[in-house]
Amino acid sequence: MIARPDPVAIGRVVATELKPSTPHQFHFWTANETAIGIGAIVRVDEGTRDKGEGRVVYGVVTDGFAYSDLATPLHDVIGAEGDPARAAASPTVRQEIRYWTAAVLRQIPEEPLQPVPLGQVFVASDTDVAQALRMDAYLHSATPTAIPIGLYTSGGLEAPVYLDADFLLGPEAAHLNISGVSGLATKTSAVEFLLASVFRHFPAHKGKVAAVCFNVKGPDLCFLDQPGDLSDEDRRRYALLDVPATPFERVRYFAPLKADGVNLNTLRTHPDLVDDVTPLTWGLQEVVDYAEVLLNRDDIDAKADAFIDFLRDRVLSKSFDDGFGNAHQVQTFADLDRLFRSIFDGLELSGRSDTWRTHHIATMRKVRNRLSNISTRCKGLVTDDGPSSDLPWGSFEDRAVYVIDVANVDPLGQDLVFARAVSKLREHLERRDLGVDAVVVFVDELNKYAPGDGPETYVKKMLLDISERGRYLGLVLFSAEQFRSQVHRRVVGNAGTQVFGRMDMDELATPGYQVLSPATKIKLATLPVGELMVRHPHFTQPIFVRFPKPPVLRGRDGMGRFPATVDLPFEDAVARHLVHLDRRIRPNQVKDLIADRTEEDVRRALAAVRQKRPEDVLAYFRKILGGRVASDAPRERRAVPPLNPISDEPY
Amino acid sequence: MTWWDALVRAGAVPAAYVPPASMGRTDVDDGAEPGADLVEGDAVQVYPVTPASAPPACFLDGIEQWKVVGYDGVLPVVRAYVAAAVRRRGEDRRLRTAFEAARDFAIAPLAGMTPERRRALTEHCPDVVEISVEEGTQPGRMLELARRAVDSARQALERKLAEQCLASLGATEWLVVDGLLSVSGKLAGHPRALGVIKSHGAQFFTGTDLERALTVPADHRTSVFRARGGHARNEVYSWYLRLWPWEGNDLLYGLLRIEARANAATISGADATCGWLLAERAPIATPDVRWDRLLYPIHDVETYLRARAPRDLLASRASRLPRTGT
Repeated sequence: MIARPDPVAIGRVVATELKPSTPHQFHFWTANETAIGIGAIVRVDEGTRDKGEGRVVYGVVTDGFAYSDLATPLHDVIGAEGDPARAAASPTVRQEIRYWTAAVLRQIPEEPLQPVPLGQVFVASDTDVAQALRMDAYLHSATPTAIPIGLYTSGGLEAPVYLDADFLLGPEAAHLNISGVSGLATKTSAVEFLLASVFRHFPAHKGKVAAVCFNVKGPDLCFLDQPGDLSDEDRRRYALLDVPATPFERVRYFAPLKADGVNLNTLRTHPDLVDDVTPLTWGLQEVVDYAEVLLNRDDIDAKADAFIDFLRDRVLSKSFDDGFGNAHQVQTFADLDRLFRSIFDGLELSGRSDTWRTHHIATMRKVRNRLSNISTRCKGLVTDDGPSSDLPWGSFEDRAVYVIDVANVDPLGQDLVFARAVSKLREHLERRDLGVDAVVVFVDELNKYAPGDGPETYVKKMLLDISERGRYLGLVLFSAEQFRSQVHRRVVGNAGTQVFGRMDMDELATPGYQVLSPATKIKLATLPVGELMVRHPHFTQPIFVRFPKPPVLRGRDGMGRFPATVDLPFEDAVARHLVHLDRRIRPNQVKDLIADRTEEDVRRALAAVRQKRPEDVLAYFRKILGGRVASDAPRERRAVPPLNPISDEPY
Repeated sequence: MTWWDALVRAGAVPAAYVPPASMGRTDVDDGAEPGADLVEGDAVQVYPVTPASAPPACFLDGIEQWKVVGYDGVLPVVRAYVAAAVRRRGEDRRLRTAFEAARDFAIAPLAGMTPERRRALTEHCPDVVEISVEEGTQPGRMLELARRAVDSARQALERKLAEQCLASLGATEWLVVDGLLSVSGKLAGHPRALGVIKSHGAQFFTGTDLERALTVPADHRTSVFRARGGHARNEVYSWYLRLWPWEGNDLLYGLLRIEARANAATISGADATCGWLLAERAPIATPDVRWDRLLYPIHDVETYLRARAPRDLLASRASRLPRTGT
């Protein structure tokens, strides 16, 4: 057994009538030269602990004071005869005190709960840190659920701080929210590190875990599979935390296409990386369930809603007779448009009233107008025709990150992507057929997507839904924002773990931070990059931790190393897609093949190839391209003329 | 069980009387009439002094506290506490304790006490100082004797520490003592020992010399003189130094009397010594009411000693009204 030297007391608890010790707070003094600072964890021994008796109290320093025996500042002026230089040159310096206030983290024994004894104060050891933060319960249990979030560093000590997976990823509590000012790479970096930590330490008995990250700005999450520059110090910290200092092994990127339908709408377009990006394109089937996301509140009256329900339940993906002798199999926006035209033509030719199956023609016109506009407004994400390309619902891989890049998608498209992705995750997790048992969803910019005020958007509803019900399903929200006070209260309130990076002083002045001491606020306002304040259900007080730089290439650095390429011409982009699927294909073969085809047909054929992934890519592409072109005459989108002088409805 | 509890159990009447004089310290007067022989000039002169940087120094002070804890009949039994410390000023200008000593003891007229209570006291208190009183001595007089015993114990402690400190004093280091230097032969003969006296009960001059001495302006000193009688048991040189202007305050405001070795070097070095003593005005020793004459390091030693004194000795300084039992 290694003999450890007896710890040296660094302070002593003092209590006066005006500032007594309580069960939750105490005060102590230290020497002027001390390693103690705000956020330091200390241990108080009652003094008889060596005899197996007495109380041990753990506390975290929340405030510090220094003062001398100077009765009034005027006395200093008098002593120096008004000359500040003389004051500094006085032969003796006044007696000073370093006086600290600490909040109790834990008392042993916990009952009866008593005021903190007037004992000696020691710097906490790593064992003390585990005890103080109640980590021992989940760190050393039969089924450990500890997930390191960083290192507690104070007084030369570096002790890992662990979160409880049951409280980070459910089912006890769940969700993590991180706040901090923009531009310091703290929020995104912290989440990247934490995901790496979760993937390394997610308990085996809890099954498989994956992450879905929405990249909502710039290239933030575009290079999670590329190694970043780590210092030796960072690597040492990774070793201490037992987290691999390597980028994520399994990352799948998804990005909508641009309006041209062949170039990807992402900043990860460097030739070395773009092949890993899967286009995200949805058709009518994928979109119609989320029509309310895309239609504003004025659009969705009861009549329109009923008609959309009718389409969804009776028409889509079914054989449907329109009542005018035409059978329809509606699977795409183009099919839907044909149905509408058929109905309107039928009504006009038959001279019947302006009602079709109880739905007024004006309502139908409005719904048609809005739905057909979706593919225009979300061009690149929503296709008029052709197959969709989607996330691998049902076959999610363990420890994989699925990045959905919506940074350059317009707000409507972002809403649609959020709503559908989250809904699908929930559906599959409810059915337990997603492929993993838990999914971490990372959403940045909550100030934009779930503001405390403003309209009730579908995205906000989805985020609230995850926050309030996700933990039962294994659907966990890691969210980030700049101003926590301006995020919907229930979204941040439901986050069991709350993390704070450097904060803006104005933000800290809001009521939500009243529980923090002025010193803690100052520390928060000046936190260096790589340091965080963590609140977790097991910690009775916020704890400051330091985390290493994430093991992945930061967005900004990635753009330097892998700059995005300019959009390719249509033919080149198609050729690149096909060459990516089959390296044997020569670009010229593709260019020759599509030379006399319309872009729409080429896009459709390309999407079919991507979905099918056949053995012989070029042959399949040729087949799809040839077949469709031969069978379909070029279509003209005709406007539907009005039937009768319509009612006064303003549609 | 404390010794005073044992005394009460043996039949003494408990008491909690803190005499007004018990908080401070007094310097023992040997009864001789004080006088002065000028050793610098023929008449008392005043000399301007320029503040100078202070040399390395140690500072010595002592405290005494006592109170009556019981009566055997009308004979008071006193609990006393004396302590002294030397605090050394380091290069960082901070003071740290170099030497300290304390004594917690009883003072009682043992011979006059009943055998039972005397036995209770001597058995339970390892340190009893006996005061000799004649039959019929008034209790007030006995308290005065107790005070002298306390003073004497404190001075002995100070002397002991001072001599310990002198033995370890650095080559350029000074020892500044709060009070008389002349109480110790070793102190009085050391070239870098100074006594700083704040109370001026003993006056060494008369007439014009007295006026010059007591009206010395701020940042000035008087001529050096040999102190005779009064407190002087060992020969020392002395002079007055004014730290702060007295006009508008009091004649003794900011006035110190300095004692140093009786040697010609003391006279030649008086200006330099006064220079660094003037520099000791900052930081000022507030909130002590004697701050105008109290050097901060001495104040610091006193604060240190008071902080370490027993908490229960002077605890009952609140109202002495009878308890109502409600």
